[in-house]
Amino acid sequence: MFDLLIEGFSSAWLPCSLIVLVPGLATVMAAGDRLPGAVAGFAISATLLSWLRFAGRGGGWPVIIAALALIGAVVLLFTRNRVGEDLAATAAGALAGGAAAELWEPCVGLEFGRLLNELPDRGPTGLAMMAVFMAGVLGPLIGFVAIVGVAPEWLRDRVQPVLSVIGGVVLAVMGLATAAGLHDNVVSQLFQWSL
Amino acid sequence: MSEPFVMQRTQLIAAIVLVVAVVGLVLGRLSLNDSTPATAGSSPDVAAPAATGTDESTAPAATADAADTPAADEAAAPAPAVEALPKLGQAQLFTNLDGWLQTDADNINDFDGQVRIVQFWTFGCFNCKNTYAALRDIYDRWQPEGLEILGVHAPEFDFEKDPESIAASAEENGLIWPIALDTNKTNFRAWQPGRRFWPRVFVVDQTGEIRFDHIGEGKYDELEAAVAQLATHGP
Repeated sequence: MFDLLIEGFSSAWLPCSLIVLVPGLATVMAAGDRLPGAVAGFAISATLLSWLRFAGRGGGWPVIIAALALIGAVVLLFTRNRVGEDLAATAAGALAGGAAAELWEPCVGLEFGRLLNELPDRGPTGLAMMAVFMAGVLGPLIGFVAIVGVAPEWLRDRVQPVLSVIGGVVLAVMGLATAAGLHDNVVSQLFQWSL
Repeated sequence: MSEPFVMQRTQLIAAIVLVVAVVGLVLGRLSLNDSTPATAGSSPDVAAPAATGTDESTAPAATADAADTPAADEAAAPAPAVEALPKLGQAQLFTNLDGWLQTDADNINDFDGQVRIVQFWTFGCFNCKNTYAALRDIYDRWQPEGLEILGVHAPEFDFEKDPESIAASAEENGLIWPIALDTNKTNFRAWQPGRRFWPRVFVVDQTGEIRFDHIGEGKYDELEAAVAQLATHGP
């Protein structure tokens, strides 16, 4: 289990994981003070749908739904006082997490490979192990949440509006790019910029 | 009744509805999956579990002998293991390729009659790089016995699409086997419907049947055992 967590955390720094982490970070950035709900929604949804897909249970969402989910996440994040802001943030996180899980084509190491090869034959234990791996992959996301949590309020107040806009724009661009079948290009460009 | 109280109740009800919907979705998908029989052999992806489930129990004896001397393995490999490699469906022909490197072949069936390892990889993938040494070793030992490795290069990022970069990476890493350029990932997706990973290896026997499937790094002994069985005993 611990090896799986470590490998998940190592995978988080590989380009293959950008398709999960970019929408995740964009969602929590856009969520502002509703960050806990957004990150929880994202993590649970990404884990659950990755497990369903990689275990061969249902085959995953069509890409077009993933695109709509990313765009829907933006709409929900910027919709206030309608169904409750926290709930909206959680739902937005869940939508973005589902989209990320659908678009993810992971690079697979030893431990994750072992899990994936056994996943179709495993029941709930497979989901638990997937959750351990995902906890590692989403490590940077959790780190971001922790940094925001300890940041002084005056800094948060100044930076948050900018982060919200950046997060919203990234999500919207990824949603539109996914709808156009170009999401690989967006992630590729982000990767090139990160070098 | 105060407004915050109403708001909290509304959120609580909405949250419960959402949770019920998610649980319903999950259960619905699970039951959908349960009601769909696994069509092992119809596609590599569906067949994957059977492959892994079986190779665990069948490979080791053949592997130990196969490691150094293919000829010795022929005598040492136990007969039951030969029958145990599952048949996972006919390998699909490659389509929409952007060409090949290091061969004049056009498709996978040009290698019919040979045992083939088909690996989906991309040169920028860290985990793919970790498989190179094992593949080189297996190739060195079994290529004289009829093995061919077909590396299907399915790039994740734009910079991985350049054939010259792929060729340079192959040369740098000693990957001397034929490389199919699956630039649009058509075959990467066709061979792995629904569940797509880098790296992934399939062993295709002399008749074009898939006999082994593994996701990710590792299981090199089992991979070699499958090759050894097929190369020494036939399909």
